[in-house]
Amino acid sequence: MHLDEFLAPKILIVSGKGGVGKTTVAAALAVVAARHGHRVCIAEVDRKGTMPKLFGATDIDYKPREMSPGIYGMSIVPDEALAEYLDVQYHMKRVSRVFTSSHFVDYITATAPGLKDILVLGKIWYLEQGRTGPQFDTIILDAPAAGHMLTFLSAPMGLSDAVRAGPLHRQADWLVQMLRDPRRARVHLVTLAEEMPISETLETMEVLHNRIQIDTGPVFANAVYPAHLTTADVKRMDEILDDGALDELTTAAEAVGLRLEDEDLQALAGYARFITARRAIQVKHLRKLKQGTQDPIVELPFLFTAGLALPGVEEIADSIEEGVAKL
Amino acid sequence: MNPIGEILSSKEIIVCAGSGGVGKTTTSAAIALRAAMEGKKAAVLTIDPAKRLASSLGLKELSNEPRKVSVRKFTAAGIEPKGELWAMMLDTKSTFDSIVERYASTEEQVEKILNNRFYRNISGTLSGTQEYMAMEKLYELYADGDYDLIVIDTPPTRNALDFLDAPNRMTDFLDSKVLKWFLIPYMKAGGGLFKVANVAASTFLRLVKKIVGAEVLDDTAEFFANLEGMYDGFKQRARDVAHLLQSDATTFIVVTSPAEESVDEATFFATRLNGSGLHFGALVVNRVHPRWGDEIEVRDRQLARLQQSDGDGPLLAKLIFNERAFRKVTTLEDRNLNSLARKVPRHRWVRVPYLEQEAVDLSGLVLIGDQLIAG
Ligand SMILES: Nc1ncnc2c1ncn2[C@@H]1O[C@H](COP(=O)(O)OP(=O)(O)OP(=O)(O)O)[C@@H](O)[C@H]1O
Ligand SMILES: Nc1ncnc2c1ncn2[C@@H]1O[C@H](COP(=O)(O)OP(=O)(O)OP(=O)(O)O)[C@@H](O)[C@H]1O
Ligand SMILES: [Mg+2]
Ligand SMILES: [Mg+2]
Repeated sequence: MHLDEFLAPKILIVSGKGGVGKTTVAAALAVVAARHGHRVCIAEVDRKGTMPKLFGATDIDYKPREMSPGIYGMSIVPDEALAEYLDVQYHMKRVSRVFTSSHFVDYITATAPGLKDILVLGKIWYLEQGRTGPQFDTIILDAPAAGHMLTFLSAPMGLSDAVRAGPLHRQADWLVQMLRDPRRARVHLVTLAEEMPISETLETMEVLHNRIQIDTGPVFANAVYPAHLTTADVKRMDEILDDGALDELTTAAEAVGLRLEDEDLQALAGYARFITARRAIQVKHLRKLKQGTQDPIVELPFLFTAGLALPGVEEIADSIEEGVAKL
Repeated sequence: MNPIGEILSSKEIIVCAGSGGVGKTTTSAAIALRAAMEGKKAAVLTIDPAKRLASSLGLKELSNEPRKVSVRKFTAAGIEPKGELWAMMLDTKSTFDSIVERYASTEEQVEKILNNRFYRNISGTLSGTQEYMAMEKLYELYADGDYDLIVIDTPPTRNALDFLDAPNRMTDFLDSKVLKWFLIPYMKAGGGLFKVANVAASTFLRLVKKIVGAEVLDDTAEFFANLEGMYDGFKQRARDVAHLLQSDATTFIVVTSPAEESVDEATFFATRLNGSGLHFGALVVNRVHPRWGDEIEVRDRQLARLQQSDGDGPLLAKLIFNERAFRKVTTLEDRNLNSLARKVPRHRWVRVPYLEQEAVDLSGLVLIGDQLIAG
């Protein structure tokens, strides 16, 4: 797939189970888009503050701020989105504090489940339309974890059904249209090659297609251990271990003037065993993922030098570019 | 003494908390199993366990009562606990229903609440509900007095701190003065907006009605009207639970991954626990990459020659390359653990290695349990 096509929808929604690497992948997608010359806004909705850290930026807030060249960061908070909505919609410039207090927001959320989500999606819509504020070519949403994301994305449909007329009904419809148009929005699920994240991914995918009817793009299978050893290598290694013949490796080492102690041999064997075992588990789960979906899967490598920093994100961005080119 | 061992010998309730995906469910099950191995009657209350973990605990569906893990399961896993292991998967919604049944004064009130649309919407989703219900269940199990040890897992929160505030968030919402101030006049006025005398309240209501519609407002008002008189029960229970959590019987185990921000979050959480009068028992650094000896010193020139040699040379080169990669991770992890050691005394935390197998069956849990006691 050409990157132009991959980056065609302006809105890219990144979601997945807690801790699978959503924020890391969202940041990497932003890097991919920025390298492609896009002006990117990446929006965090959980106020966790992980995303700005990845770019070495300090805190972000409701107003998009440039974190690195061409990449803006913002944090969408329902309270502020509500204030903006009331302002745009009802010209209530100075709304009483009660209306934007968190109790009110809680109440509103509870009375009309999903209203909070609509406020957040509404903000994305404002950004997409670009009527006010800076213009962006790509808007990346670091969305809530999968279960929450489904509630999140189905909110406009629910509201559009519940409120049969009036401005809110119309606005909810606009959001539904935005989400259902593959030229405008797409979801990328991130998963680990493990049982729970994959079964959650497949369940989520089903709902995304059937109920929400939003386009989904490649699934990112994150943190896959690279194949440092081929099947033949693993087989040979097993032979060596079964025969207790680690000294054959010592001989190979001595040929290049390298002295390996027993302890070194244990380490080499130990790490080889570990990566082989973990990869086997991952491959097994990836197979289940492949069987369960027609969407392409892009594998992203486990980064041995992980930790929250831009170099890692750049590396993931490279893998995304490579993976997408192969589709 | 190892902190987990110390906890097992002195506490009756263990709460396992931590951010998403770090291993809370696994750790809670492993600890309860460990206690059972040592002869205790232990119960674990899990929240959304992996399917395979649930089935290895003999759980097929949500249940609100613990079930005993059968001897057959243990035998199949080649273990022979001296005590008993009981397990359950929390059913949030039916726990909420049973609380309503407990505090309502009439059968009619129960019916009205359970059938209310607003209630049906919030009973599964209102923020803090899952946490409140987990605490509620914990309290019931403890009050029954049937177990020597209860281990409780916590829901996946975005960040571990949410868990502490969650139950209060729910009761505060149900008893919100602001809400009642608006809703009570509305109900008294029989749903008629214009009869609401209070100007602020009527502006508020008008706005809500505009945004969400009249029906929704009616449902909500009806719900709060029916809930009237039950708040005291809710709040009393929340206070009792808070007492139990602060008592000497209870301790918290914070689970974290060895990643920097996860460790930071966990230490912050531990501090917050102390600040809230809760007992911080131990920190479990889970899924630490394994370590063997020290980094092997190899010159790049030697590696290049290995790659070109025949026999086992190229294989050895790959093995060294692989070993080098893992040293990078372990170096990073060590750095994080060292900084952890400066903040949390070494005897307050344990590390559990990343197993070469999936920790979803009883034998995996035994391995983790051993590490928890040894680490
Ligand atoms: N490919 C990778 N290789 C190694 N570590 C990774 C990789 N991707 C992410 N991580 C690490 O995993 C952890 C979780 O990543 P991240 O914060 O992106 O997840 P998340 O899904 O956004 O989490 P949350 O649900 O808490 O928001 C971080 O420590 C991150 O550095
Ligand atoms: N020490 C370990 N070695 C290997 N695998 C592990 C280890 N600890 C946990 N796991 C695996 O990691 C995955 C996540 O663990 P678990 O479900 O316990 O996390 P959790 O914190 O309860 O997640 P959630 O926040 O989603 O509830 C599971 O597949 C589990 O089997
Ligand atoms: Mg995140
Ligand atoms: Mg869990």
